[in-house]
Amino acid sequence: MAQSEFVVERAFRTDRSSPGRWVRSHVLRQGWLIPIVIGGAFGNAALAGVVPVLIGGAMDAVSRALEAGDGMPSMPAVTRAAVLIILSQAGRAVLQLARNGGSELFGQRLERDVRDELYASLLGKSMTFHGRQPVGDTMARATNDVRELNLMFNPGLNLVVGSSFFLIVPALFAYRLDPRLAAAPTVFIFAYAIALRHYLGVLKPITRDVRATFGRLNARLAEAIDGVEVVKGAAQEDNEIEAFEADARAFRDAYVRQGEKEARFLPLLLLGLTIGAGFWHAAWIYFEAGSTLSIGDIVAYIGLLSMLSFPTFISLFAYSQVSLGLASARRVLELVNRETELDQNKDGAAHRIEGRIEFEAVEFGYTADRPVLTDVSFTVTPGQTVAIVGQTGSGKTTIARLINRTYDVDKGRVVVDGLDVREWSLEGLRGQIAVIEQDPFLFSRSIAENIAFGRPDAPQSEVEIAAREAQAHEFIERLPDGYETVIGERGVTLSGGQRQRIAIARALLSDPRILILDDSTSAIDSATEDRIQRAIDRAAAGRTTFLITHRLSQIRWADLVIVLRGGTVEACGTHDELFATSAPYRRLFVRLGGDSDLGAQSFGPGEDQVGGSNGGGPR
Amino acid sequence: MIFNNLDVEAYDREYEDRELVRRVAAYAAPHRARLVIIALSVLLISGLSAGVPLLLAAGVGRFDTPGATFPAMLVAGVFVAWILIWLGNYLRRRLTTRAIGDMVLSLRRDSFSATMRHDLAFHDRYAAGRIVSRITSDTQDFGQSVALVAELIGQVIEVVILAVVLLRISPRLTLIVLVWGPVVIAAAAGFRILARYVTRQGARAQADVNAKILETVGGIAVAKNFRRESTVYDEFLDVNATAYAINVRRGFALATVFPALNLLMGFGTGSVVYFGALSTIDAGITVAAWFLFLQSLERFWFPLMNLSAFWSQVQVGFAAIERVFALIDHESSVVQTGSESVERINGDIRFESVRFGYGDGTQVLPEFSLHVKPGESVALVGHTGAGKSSIARLVARFYEFQGGEILIDGRDIRSLDLGAYRRRLGVVPQTPFLFSGSVADNIRYARRDASDAEIMALAQTVGDGEWLAALPEGLATDVGERGSSLSMGQRQLVALLRVLLQKPAIFVLDEATASIDPFTEAQIQEALLLILKDSTALVIAHRLSTVRAADRIVVLDGGRIIEEGDHMALMSAGGHYRELYDTYFRHQALDYRPKPKPEPVQEPA
Repeated sequence: MAQSEFVVERAFRTDRSSPGRWVRSHVLRQGWLIPIVIGGAFGNAALAGVVPVLIGGAMDAVSRALEAGDGMPSMPAVTRAAVLIILSQAGRAVLQLARNGGSELFGQRLERDVRDELYASLLGKSMTFHGRQPVGDTMARATNDVRELNLMFNPGLNLVVGSSFFLIVPALFAYRLDPRLAAAPTVFIFAYAIALRHYLGVLKPITRDVRATFGRLNARLAEAIDGVEVVKGAAQEDNEIEAFEADARAFRDAYVRQGEKEARFLPLLLLGLTIGAGFWHAAWIYFEAGSTLSIGDIVAYIGLLSMLSFPTFISLFAYSQVSLGLASARRVLELVNRETELDQNKDGAAHRIEGRIEFEAVEFGYTADRPVLTDVSFTVTPGQTVAIVGQTGSGKTTIARLINRTYDVDKGRVVVDGLDVREWSLEGLRGQIAVIEQDPFLFSRSIAENIAFGRPDAPQSEVEIAAREAQAHEFIERLPDGYETVIGERGVTLSGGQRQRIAIARALLSDPRILILDDSTSAIDSATEDRIQRAIDRAAAGRTTFLITHRLSQIRWADLVIVLRGGTVEACGTHDELFATSAPYRRLFVRLGGDSDLGAQSFGPGEDQVGGSNGGGPR
Repeated sequence: MIFNNLDVEAYDREYEDRELVRRVAAYAAPHRARLVIIALSVLLISGLSAGVPLLLAAGVGRFDTPGATFPAMLVAGVFVAWILIWLGNYLRRRLTTRAIGDMVLSLRRDSFSATMRHDLAFHDRYAAGRIVSRITSDTQDFGQSVALVAELIGQVIEVVILAVVLLRISPRLTLIVLVWGPVVIAAAAGFRILARYVTRQGARAQADVNAKILETVGGIAVAKNFRRESTVYDEFLDVNATAYAINVRRGFALATVFPALNLLMGFGTGSVVYFGALSTIDAGITVAAWFLFLQSLERFWFPLMNLSAFWSQVQVGFAAIERVFALIDHESSVVQTGSESVERINGDIRFESVRFGYGDGTQVLPEFSLHVKPGESVALVGHTGAGKSSIARLVARFYEFQGGEILIDGRDIRSLDLGAYRRRLGVVPQTPFLFSGSVADNIRYARRDASDAEIMALAQTVGDGEWLAALPEGLATDVGERGSSLSMGQRQLVALLRVLLQKPAIFVLDEATASIDPFTEAQIQEALLLILKDSTALVIAHRLSTVRAADRIVVLDGGRIIEEGDHMALMSAGGHYRELYDTYFRHQALDYRPKPKPEPVQEPA
């Protein structure tokens, strides 16, 4: 059942059982980049640690020579140390470059691969999934969250690895000077880890407050300025200023609280105490405990301890980057792993649909506790044009979604040509149903390609016929490159009505048996409306058509009108029937007709007082 | 200031530095005591930070001295210095945050109040988002720069103290340390330019790529609909590969910064080791002093690298505050000459030879006269640019006019108390605007004292309150951001009820063009009729039912009245109104059928 609709064959499979494992499997995939990053980071820290040791050596040489009476003989040793320092730092630069470059590649590849994996998985998911998943949310995950994963590695984990070597190297090198000297840096590592953890824990809720108060401040401010006409019109400036000041003060308080916690950054104190303690420890060993420590060793030791300042300051940033990345990984993986529970029924019926549709006592809700449709029944005969009317939220769109099985009913049946929709193969069913959304999506390709999207092999002549039928041919011809004009390029943008007509042409070319058209947008002028309505009339000819519409005129000419109210069918029939039997329906026409030049008796077909008549009544 | 050119607005002005400093000082003045303590703690921290290497060097000196004993005082000194540094830092940061938080708060309050005072000509002209960013981001940026500059000053003081000490020990060796300064500053500045360049290049390319990625994601549903997954997948792979290439190139450029600085540091250290040894051997400085120079090197470099950031940060801060002051100082062009009380208004509106333009030279109303009698409803119709909204907005006193007179009940509109006058006005803009909060909150927006019962009773008067049943929690329903959880129709209803609650003497409506389901639309019409019954109304009409309901239709063209009358009369006259009807209203008629295409089309089978 969980058969995917689209599969990319890959040599590599990721472990999707948990965000941690998933990230790990992506990491392991990077192969040779891992040793480069880790090796580079270690080399970088080690070569940084070499400097104080070399300095110490030079000082010892000079100091011994001076004790002997003449310093000059130590100069070759000093020169060697100076040259070694320069060479070691050159080596360090090379390693660091390799590490940074490697980590850069690492992060970018990860971003690329994860996005690829996400995209392929989205393509593999059912229409049901895409019908339900908000596009904006998917886009956010495909861009921001995937980017966060990149940043989690570079600079995030890169710095975590780098700074942990800056913790370890001082301890290691100090141990080599005198095992006892490893004490201070080692204690620091643990104390630091505890302090950092505590600090992050304390800061987290406050940072959240700061973000929340800022968000509120910004949102309300934008609102007051966007709505300034209403604010002024209602003379509410003073109230708005007062409300703004309260918001700004709430942010200020959170900001001050955050500053206070940040000011109490304990790792900084720990760093100071460690240097002090190390100094004391070295002095104690030198003077009291008796050892062979030289002055150069002590100098080297102090130098090693000051290496600790790098991780002290950098890890805060690095850790927050990593935790952001993990949260993003969770969001991306959640989307990749989400199942769509609809049965595809591959072996179901797939023959040509005639177009008879019956709803039998249908009940449905998006959540269990809130039914959207209750006891909805009606019958549509093949070729009819059905207008669905009702207030926003009355369930119009839901009816359309049940026909093409974006969702399945909770109770009752949706029947197409005598077969329950669940007995049709999903592909066979959907292949014959075209849905034209309110704001259709077009690709940044040529107009011809967009129209032929469902049938890429369609000859140009058929594309043009479809465009003519959809009343789009004329405006397409007027575009700079006609049918070859690429949408979105060189400033070519299309109006809502033009997009709608191209979508109609696209649907016509694939010759669906059932057409569902959401026409609840409004045309600004009558000429545009003429074109859209002509296109719809053509498209509806010869196929069962559902119109979700707000236009009384369209409703009037439909073969069947279904009036929905609060998820039930309030009335169902032809315009004349409803006008005679349904009081709310009649009221609608009377009220919106105003003191009308149209009496109720004049609602006959074919009458057109103003525009020219096309002579046609309802089909 | 390179970036700032992007958001220059016409009301921006250049302040002289002295003027700017004076203005900023006025905002800083209330925090004088805090600022003094901050300055003192900065000095303390700098002194102590410079002192730590001195103590350590002195310690090393002790090791080097034959017969020396455990340097207890020095060790204690290091501990005490670090604890004091931490405490000083705590004090400094705590007070700085407070001072900045309070300054930013005052700046925000002042700039927001100013924004609310500015007339609508200002708000029409300048994008809300940019004003918002001045009030929130620019104030914050300014605060941030103040903090950063304070920190940098601390570091520079530390460097100066160290430099003085070093100079006294060995001028020659100090010179070696200082010689690297310009090199480091140049390198840091170079990298800053590089970073800015690649970031900006990258940002542009990234924006393109992001747009393409968004498109490939947006197209998935369509691709699946037509079973063309592999086509869009191939397209996606291309885009994804491009994004990767761009990002890697940018990343590699930035990856060179720190390695290069470390290499430079290697040369610096090497040179101080070498020349330090020479000085120790032949110029008589101690090994401890040599050590001090080595420690100082790093302490010198860090502030130097930051120094190049310093100026740009100061500039960013000043540019930001300049933008905020420009917003505060902009003068509103709507000026009242008096503040006569407005207790009752009958709603008599008279335009007499009014001249009006938006200040860009074009005359919207060359010489406009119109008299609207109390209680009359007038529908304004005409093509875009005919002057409909200007007339409506002049009545609401949103703009200043340049000539003629507007009289309300025979009194000059300029002489009225503006707040009181507007409270007698009901204004509904074309896109009905809802504020976050509940439906009830929005209805009582203009009359906050209205009780729940009053609002409930009012809500019931429209369509027997049926529209409330469609809202999940009735009047308590949260409307969401800008009313997003309500349908367009419901938003319009709420906006009209807001006015209905106000019982205004004058009603100004710019009718919405959005398409609304007929049931809600019928209720909107009902609410509209209720308002029209009791108020003088000026309506920019887009709906056929509204023009029909108006007492008088005024047809405008180029800011002049070209026809007047009611719907039936004007229709039968067959003039300009008839033409407008055919263009904008015909398709709204109940018996509308599309006009056939002029040329013959082949009939479908």
